[in-house]
Amino acid sequence: MSTEAIAVEKPKRNYNVLFGLTLLALLVLLWIVLSVATPSFASGNNIANLLRQGSMIAIMAVGQTFVIITGGIDLSVGAVVGFATVVVAMMINAGFPIWLAILATLLVGVAIGMFHGFGIVKMGLPPFIITLATLTSLRGIGLLMTNGNSINIKSDTFTAFSRSSFVGIPNLFWMVILVGVPAYIFLHHSRWGRYLFSVGSNAEASRLSGVNVQRTIYMAYTLSGLCAAFVGVLLAARIGIGNPTQAEGWELQAIASSVIGGTSLFGAVGSVHGPLLGAFILATINNGANLLNVNSFWQRIITGALIIIIVYFDGLRRRGK
Amino acid sequence: MISTAQELHPAPVLEPGRTILELRGLEKRYPGTHALKPVNLAFKSGEIHAIVGENGAGKSTLIKLLTGVMPRTSGEIIWEGQPAALATPHEAMALGINAVHQEVVLCRHLTVAANMFLGEENSRFGILQQRAMVRQAQTIIDDLGFDLPAHVTLGDLTIGQQQLIAAARATVRGTKFLIFDEPTAYLTRKEADQLFTLIRRLKGEGVTIIYISHRMEEVFELADRVSVLRDGTLVGTRNIAETNDAELVKMMINRSIEQVYHKEHFTPGAAILEARSLSGKGFENVSMTVRAGEIVGLYGLIGAGRSEFVTTVYGRHRKSAGQILWEGKEVQVNSEHDAIRLGMALAPESRRDQGLCLNLPVGFNLNLPIYKRISNNLLISNTQEKTQADRQIADLRIKTPTRGALVSSLSGGNQQKIVIGKWLAHGAKLFIFDEPTVGVDVGTKAEIYRLFGALLSKGAGIILISSYLPEVYELADTLHVFRRGKLVATHGFHAASHEDILTQALAEKQEKLGGQI
Repeated sequence: MSTEAIAVEKPKRNYNVLFGLTLLALLVLLWIVLSVATPSFASGNNIANLLRQGSMIAIMAVGQTFVIITGGIDLSVGAVVGFATVVVAMMINAGFPIWLAILATLLVGVAIGMFHGFGIVKMGLPPFIITLATLTSLRGIGLLMTNGNSINIKSDTFTAFSRSSFVGIPNLFWMVILVGVPAYIFLHHSRWGRYLFSVGSNAEASRLSGVNVQRTIYMAYTLSGLCAAFVGVLLAARIGIGNPTQAEGWELQAIASSVIGGTSLFGAVGSVHGPLLGAFILATINNGANLLNVNSFWQRIITGALIIIIVYFDGLRRRGK
Repeated sequence: MISTAQELHPAPVLEPGRTILELRGLEKRYPGTHALKPVNLAFKSGEIHAIVGENGAGKSTLIKLLTGVMPRTSGEIIWEGQPAALATPHEAMALGINAVHQEVVLCRHLTVAANMFLGEENSRFGILQQRAMVRQAQTIIDDLGFDLPAHVTLGDLTIGQQQLIAAARATVRGTKFLIFDEPTAYLTRKEADQLFTLIRRLKGEGVTIIYISHRMEEVFELADRVSVLRDGTLVGTRNIAETNDAELVKMMINRSIEQVYHKEHFTPGAAILEARSLSGKGFENVSMTVRAGEIVGLYGLIGAGRSEFVTTVYGRHRKSAGQILWEGKEVQVNSEHDAIRLGMALAPESRRDQGLCLNLPVGFNLNLPIYKRISNNLLISNTQEKTQADRQIADLRIKTPTRGALVSSLSGGNQQKIVIGKWLAHGAKLFIFDEPTVGVDVGTKAEIYRLFGALLSKGAGIILISSYLPEVYELADTLHVFRRGKLVATHGFHAASHEDILTQALAEKQEKLGGQI
């Protein structure tokens, strides 16, 4: 191998960082353009609003990314969010302490994730199918539990949380940091994170190398379910109701954020910072389009086009190496 | 449109001995590497021309240029006296240039017949003539003497049988120039013989055959001429009658053949593993002992039960009867995890499917079995991760720019070193190598064999599985022969002749290869 070849190869190692910086630059660029284009964008109120909008998708996208890295997909997360709003609302209204209601809701998310793991590992179902099945049935269970009505949450302490801020930053955004930092350490600096990548790259080779593949798959879906249930709690606090039809289509936004953030749907490629940036890029586009009075139908088209463009350029760069 | 089997086999139109394809200063550069230095070579119609060389010598590059997969940097390709662009695979096929690759590139979910006619389907008014195609495919297969059904799904056949279908497919398309890239790597001896019959027959029809192989005896069995590549340079071309093993190996690696099989004998120590009357899926009643400091060779055809035996020992499959003893004590090995904890290490047969995470970095793959050791309860030690990986890369002389390079960017031999290397830091006592040198060049083979010696000297035991008799013959202290799921013979080092061992592995000639079809 010549020294020239070594020089060519070097940038590959920093690829993740580079891609992250590119996304960050794109986000900053969007903010600058929107600040110039519309006076209301840079207002404190709007920025706080944008951070709140983006936070929930961002947290879902992190869990989703764990699953996608193993080569799977979790279509149920939107439905889990809706279902979690119902669980937490019912428990609070039934007089349980708030901490217990939240803990129980998170455990429901864990249980749903474990069920996905069971379906994939023990029943041999494709991830797409088992999570599609939970998507539809969870909405149904939620509707049965509520008779199709919304539940108004009778606790101001609970709902106040999502509206208040800490050192000038909305609490919801703090939650992204609360999830993001441990997630980053887990994925990039722990052996379980390595196992997610190895299973996504080659499950058989991982098994023969002593990796517990089944446990790794359980773990990915459980974390995704947990993240989604957590978002359900945050959403319930933000809108003050429990409603099983909430968060319709959020699973696709979470997947889109993850993919914009550089996650490969073929598995074994992904990060934590990428999906977080992806989620806020999507939130910024929606927010900016609202402020600019762009027809909301156009927002969907723009989002779709953006996914194609970013993934196309990402693929070009990877192939170019 | 193809209507009869006759049309698929055009009578020989090419007069043998005429130059059909000529390379004039053919050259390929990648950024940073000079993969093929200017090559001048003429191929004649009706010749079998072997190309040998180490991994990375430029053989694959040459194939890719000839089949239009990649554009050349400079030079000319003259096809039947006319310069040819060969810019696309389609153009190569239109001229009559085809290739059969080492890994089967066909649609596993379609039938054999559908694969044979893929891209040239027989249809009437837009409706596929499925029954007609199966009939035609069957005629072709029978005609070639392959005992295979045309209506079954391709994926239901063994890899070797799929390879035969791939070869049959290439012959029915007006092929004048056919390239075989390591076609026998996954073939049983019987399948290989069928393939050789096919190749000789094509030669008789005036087709030019390019035959790429690491197996010298095949080159001498088949070829008329042989060209040697080394580091992207054409070292020379010889008539097969005027050369020998030793000369070719020397041309390939600048090293003599005795240095390849590097056998060190150690006095065997205590038993590490003992199998007593072990039975499981694909094998029954197998007993053997592996002691410290010895290589136990398992020889037999693919499907004879060797791989099934070791994967059962390794906990991949459940045993149905018998006992496994580890260092004298009976153990239950219920998963790979158990096996690894005891101190076993398996370098599996297929590095792509079972051995490596191809789209992940070299260092990641090397450390995969030991992440538990190089992390505390929560975090991985970054320094340990780096030093462990760099040490293996240096010890094994893995040619990679950095530990961060993706495994998929490495050559086959270097990938195989990773499959083996990831177990060295793990500190296993029993190493199981299943076909460790398939598709690996002579130089890397020698390095791998030397590594065996190093492991033995540290008191490890080795189980070596190979379909390549010289390898187990030259290396194994104890050689067990498998046939149809049973251990049929056991020999000491060089205690039996090649012929005897082959006969034991194949048994009576009339016997159909059990469970293969």
